[in-house]
Amino acid sequence: MNTAIALRNEIRKGLRFAWSERLQILIELPMFAVFVILLGPLLGQGENLTSGRVDWSLNSQTTSAMVVWMVPFIFFYMQVVKMFWRILGEIQAGTLEQVFLSSLPPWLVAAAGRVVAALLETLFVAAATYGIVSAFVSIHLHWSIAALLPTIAVMIAAIGLSLIIASATLVYKRIQIVNDTVLLVVMIFSASALPLIHVPGWWADVSHAFPLTDAVGSLYNIMIAQHFVTSTWGVGGLVPLLTIPTAYLLAGIGTFIVGERVAKNRGTLGRY
Amino acid sequence: MSTIAAPIAFQTRLARTELVKGLRLMWRRRSMVILGMVMYGATYLGISLFIGGGHLVKDLMARTLPALLAVVVASVATVEGVGGISEEIIGGTLEQTRLSPASPQLQALGRMASLAIEGLAVAIVLGVVFFLAAGLDIKPHPAALIPAVLTILDALGYGLIMTALTVRLPSIGAISHVGNMVVMAFGGMLIPISFFPSGLEIFAKFVPTTLGVLSVNTTLAGRGLGATWSDGTLPWLLVHAAVVFVAGFSLYVINIRRAQREGGLSPR
Repeated sequence: MNTAIALRNEIRKGLRFAWSERLQILIELPMFAVFVILLGPLLGQGENLTSGRVDWSLNSQTTSAMVVWMVPFIFFYMQVVKMFWRILGEIQAGTLEQVFLSSLPPWLVAAAGRVVAALLETLFVAAATYGIVSAFVSIHLHWSIAALLPTIAVMIAAIGLSLIIASATLVYKRIQIVNDTVLLVVMIFSASALPLIHVPGWWADVSHAFPLTDAVGSLYNIMIAQHFVTSTWGVGGLVPLLTIPTAYLLAGIGTFIVGERVAKNRGTLGRY
Repeated sequence: MSTIAAPIAFQTRLARTELVKGLRLMWRRRSMVILGMVMYGATYLGISLFIGGGHLVKDLMARTLPALLAVVVASVATVEGVGGISEEIIGGTLEQTRLSPASPQLQALGRMASLAIEGLAVAIVLGVVFFLAAGLDIKPHPAALIPAVLTILDALGYGLIMTALTVRLPSIGAISHVGNMVVMAFGGMLIPISFFPSGLEIFAKFVPTTLGVLSVNTTLAGRGLGATWSDGTLPWLLVHAAVVFVAGFSLYVINIRRAQREGGLSPR
């Protein structure tokens, strides 16, 4: 009972933080749509550009694939980036130490306080991105209940990654650049799951180790290629789809526990 | 020392102290500076691969590399400028800086000079790495130095505007993030802006660093300063850099003085 109350309080606190950041989210909102609209016509056009030919029309199929790529990334952004800023803010304000007075394990406090807010923020930003992009080109997606599986995989992987970043924040504090680097690498490598560009073999192989790739591949298979999630291996296969996010979550919990111990021992949980 | 020279020497020493403080802070977080350099390089490489359809198009990269370097200077000035001031506000040390005899503009000058050194160091390393590793056909030309210096001033002015807004706007983190994305997207790092549709091209020319990159590219193409002056890019760059730089300084001084009056230099 106490656990449920503590969990509910953390979720409510996360939602209040999210509400206080509503202006920030509104400012960031167009960024994702502009990215899709601007990069869409340029993908793979390098040689044409050097000869001065640019076709600025948006291709429906490519743009639909880019939306499927971008929406899970928005969730990653909302979970990982905002978790970092919140932890840093609490360290600088000196309130992070109070987290350890909670009856819940600290990693659960950190994760639960963010994930529901990130989900709601993503729904809002993704819907707006969808709306803005579809004003320029029609987006064709096959809505299926099966898409819930990769969606949950995205959420689990994002929680895991955000806990790893949060742990690093506890120890090293101002690591905004690490945050950006990690998200960038995750986004770049996840592109190999989509038929947007040809990637070298090593890139395709390495990309499976990143948390977003197979979930994006699975979403593409379900929502655009209209295939069922039955294959075991390959891009978006059931095995990588389930094991990689779980591995990230476990690694996140483990890293957070190590990070909090280091910070406690060094006395760096607060600002002194 | 004469009565005029003494205050000048004192002011110079104050500005130098700020500069040294900035450089010391940079040295303390050198691993983050290196990581940031890797990030900018990876971003550029990733975007180049996306646009090249999985391979690097060297002719295109030769025209977008100067924009990457400008983006780096602008981003470093913004991210570190905003981050530094935010941290000092939360830590309560920004108030202490006002106990110094240095004026806010002198402190801003010192801060920006150290951020310029950091940004330029990262940009130079990235430029050399891409130039050599990708074998880009860029012929460095002394004439390019003039628009390059103006581009740096333009980038620093933009960084200073964002830094100045930190004491007024709680959502500055998001604003600076979006601002840097705009500089990246419309500053010529994705593709040269001459490929944009005309409306977008006009908009892009108002974005910090864009005119500078255009001007640098013209001189690197061997057409000389005369060409970039006569097509109007260099005069507009001069105006743009001056306006942005003066606006940055003025805004910084106004906001710091206002925050000092209203008690906004420390956490509220």
